[in-house]
Amino acid sequence: MPFARVHQSVAEYEVFARKSRSEPLHQVGSVVAPDQSLAMAYARATYDEERWVEMVLVPKEALISVWGPAEADQS
Amino acid sequence: MSLATLVLAIADCKQLLGMRYAEWSIRAPTLEADIAAAAMGLDDLGHSRVLLGTLESLGPDPRGPDREQDPAAFLNVAFLDRPWQSWSEFVAANAVLDTAFTTMIEACVEGEVEVLQSRLRKMLMEERFHFLHGRSWLREGVEPGTLSRAWQEALEWFGPPDGEVAALHEAGALSMGPGQLWARLETKLGMSAPSVAVDWEAFDPLRRRTRPGAIDASTFEMIRGLEERRYMPAGGSRKKAG
Repeated sequence: MPFARVHQSVAEYEVFARKSRSEPLHQVGSVVAPDQSLAMAYARATYDEERWVEMVLVPKEALISVWGPAEADQS
Repeated sequence: MSLATLVLAIADCKQLLGMRYAEWSIRAPTLEADIAAAAMGLDDLGHSRVLLGTLESLGPDPRGPDREQDPAAFLNVAFLDRPWQSWSEFVAANAVLDTAFTTMIEACVEGEVEVLQSRLRKMLMEERFHFLHGRSWLREGVEPGTLSRAWQEALEWFGPPDGEVAALHEAGALSMGPGQLWARLETKLGMSAPSVAVDWEAFDPLRRRTRPGAIDASTFEMIRGLEERRYMPAGGSRKKAG
């Protein structure tokens, strides 16, 4: 069954987190939400399985691709 | 009403709120909201247990034996008596009532009672995400009558200007009285409450509500652990593993 979205406009956010100050942030997943507040609530609800010391969101559209998997395969 | 009774009222409201959230964990408009409903439900059930754990430090335990038999012995707002029938009810409770309970917890944490200062602080961090969720969905639109009812019950729950919450504020146990709690709730939600009038003559100071009624039978049985017994094997005992 296709998943119906109720919001007219949504954005995808990449979720990054780390468990200690000494380790770097790493990607743990992504969320889709109509605004930043809901994205924060959804990220916390969905990826709360660890005792993260930090969690941040980055709008996917803000990411600048240097190269992708297809280009990496050719090198 | 004592401070312990107020804390019990917060705990009862949070237990019911957690159960109502959980009921919507497969019914929300989006998968993400389903997950958030489940997470918020778990949070509030946990918060209820933390609040109940503070009672022994607050004097005589206000829980009587009638809580085993009488659903009206639970000190919850009327909005939580029955399972919600619409997403508007979920959002109104999430945005207005959950935030009202959080505002009261802030008054406890900022007050002069040490056990509340120390043990309730962590739940304020978790409640931040309930607030973000509720406020965003509130901006999407809620049925006006449902929203108005939630505001009314929040106003009642804070209590009359000369009631027990005001007295606890005077005594220093709470950092805010009813008027300040109301103002902070409006500020948090970034909106003025609709004009609501409360018949304080009908106010029940223990249950902090004016509406009669009580928790539905199914929920009451679940709270007492009776609902789960229907799914236990005959004899009512668990099989040992291995």
